[in-house]
Amino acid sequence: MVKLKDIKVVFNKGTENEKVALDKISLTIKEGDFVTIIGSNGAGKSTMLKVILGEIFPNSGIYMIDDSVMNGTNSYKLAKFIGRVYQNPNSGVFPNLSIKENLILASKKGMRYLGFSKVSDFGVELLANLGIGLEKRLNTKAGHLSGGQKQSLAMVMSIISRPRLLLLDEHTASLDPQSSEKIMELTKRINIEYGITIMMITHNMEIASKYGNRFVKLSEGRISEDSIRDHVSAS
Amino acid sequence: MIISILEIGTILGIMALGVYLTFRILDLPDLTCDGSFALGGAITVASLLSGIPVVYCIFLGAMGGALAGLATGLIHTRLKVNSLLAGILVMTMIYSINLRIMNGPNLPVPRVSSNEEIQSFEDLSGGTKLDDLFSDFGEMKVSTKSDIKVQSNIFNNEKDGSDLTLIILITCGIILVLGIFLRTDIGMAIRAFGSNKNAVQSFGISKNVLAVLGLVIANLLVGLSGSLFALYSGFADVQMGQSMIVTGLAALMLGEIILSKINIIYGLFAPIIGGILYQLLLSLAIKYGYRIGLLASDMKLLTALFIIIVIGVSLVATQKDGKKKLKKGVKKLWSNSKT
Ligand SMILES: Nc1ncnc2c1ncn2[C@@H]1O[C@H](COP(=O)(O)OP(=O)(O)OP(=O)(O)O)[C@@H](O)[C@H]1O
Ligand SMILES: [Mg+2]
Repeated sequence: MVKLKDIKVVFNKGTENEKVALDKISLTIKEGDFVTIIGSNGAGKSTMLKVILGEIFPNSGIYMIDDSVMNGTNSYKLAKFIGRVYQNPNSGVFPNLSIKENLILASKKGMRYLGFSKVSDFGVELLANLGIGLEKRLNTKAGHLSGGQKQSLAMVMSIISRPRLLLLDEHTASLDPQSSEKIMELTKRINIEYGITIMMITHNMEIASKYGNRFVKLSEGRISEDSIRDHVSAS
Repeated sequence: MIISILEIGTILGIMALGVYLTFRILDLPDLTCDGSFALGGAITVASLLSGIPVVYCIFLGAMGGALAGLATGLIHTRLKVNSLLAGILVMTMIYSINLRIMNGPNLPVPRVSSNEEIQSFEDLSGGTKLDDLFSDFGEMKVSTKSDIKVQSNIFNNEKDGSDLTLIILITCGIILVLGIFLRTDIGMAIRAFGSNKNAVQSFGISKNVLAVLGLVIANLLVGLSGSLFALYSGFADVQMGQSMIVTGLAALMLGEIILSKINIIYGLFAPIIGGILYQLLLSLAIKYGYRIGLLASDMKLLTALFIIIVIGVSLVATQKDGKKKLKKGVKKLWSNSKT
């Protein structure tokens, strides 16, 4: 479903700070894949996800979703297909809004601009499935939640509109081992139960070895390893 | 005395409400308001003099403010200019524009316009054709003509409470509409933008649209406030918006100190309460300040100092909190390592 062909991203082109972050990367992701991406700091992992999100436009190469070229498509337009959760729990939620409002906003398909949308049943169901009682605290401000709770909420928000692709950038990195485990189980369920394709960056080798059916390693802006393996997460 | 403090304070409160929208809700500091305040006043008085009914003049003044906000918003989002600079650019342009609108540095409000003037205006604009076009309004026009005197100002400046009632009604209306708006989906998105600018984009909402919309609404309020202020004080002046942003911020902070806000509905009252409080303090300072050697011209200095002090005090307060937390954390670590 996602196809990157010879994608090149150069930061500060033409200055002495020029940095080739992605050097002609090609990668094709199939519907339903759970891709685990590893690589050392600065390898270009986040840059690759940002290209897919439309936050960075590649200098050259082609980026396609299904059969349409997405080069230069604005991120808020791509958001219809793509959910994302980042490392920092504060980056994925709106701290000044209640949990309920966060969910409404995330399910943007239901936005009636001058009307008042309600939380979808699907949203509450997802929240209840987390099993941490957030569904009973709908009026709590998201800013008052703990890091793990925020990250759980962010996960629910990222899939509430049923995107086809979910991008995770070290989404468990700031969590304690238990919360991290919970979030990973949730990630796995999102892939299997809802059939959402996942691309996940992690520095945690235990997680990398345990989850995903495809394993991609980036080194200095190039793909140095790309292997298909059994859906370990399904076991 | 006290009644005019309430009146002016509430009018300034509407302006502070605009500042609240940009500085607090949108978290997008905007300096356009110095310009849009004067623009609102200038447009209102100028259009009043050209014979337009006062209610439309107020509407036009508010729209002028909205347009200024639109300009700032577009410069900020399209040209990627910092919002503060975008606001200063627009404010500077408005200064010249206001001089053209008023054809001079200031313009008085005609206190009461006679029927003759209205008629002559109608003659000028080709009465019969317009009458045909707006035949529905025929009856209304007849009744207007039969009045001996036509009110050209919504305020009578008689300190009999009628002005105050009117101002408070307008303000309550604004707060109600704004309060409801901020709870609609789009209003929610604007609040979301203020609390996490980049994330709105990843939920399929254009942050540029939200920024522009917020700036338009905020400056509409400032323009409206300027319009009412000009009508109230009897003139529009090219200088009337000078350092409005500082006044607005001071009012906002005063209000927030009084109603340490949490809920947005209560939050909307803070700028109004603050505006009144600010006006009260200002009058007291002007009236009794001479005893300690203060001049009326020192008020801007005092207002800006007040803002700096409030920011400083709140910073120290949070830092103290931070230090306490740090100490607790260290203690915890210490006791953990012992066990
Ligand atoms: N906005 C930017 N401007 C300039 N250089 C950038 C920018 N963003 C990323 N880079 C550079 O591009 C390279 C790849 O960065 P990227 O964030 O993709 O790395 P990463 O693989 O995600 O690393 P990490 O594991 O540390 O998150 C780095 O050398 C980084 O310094
Ligand atoms: Mg990264």
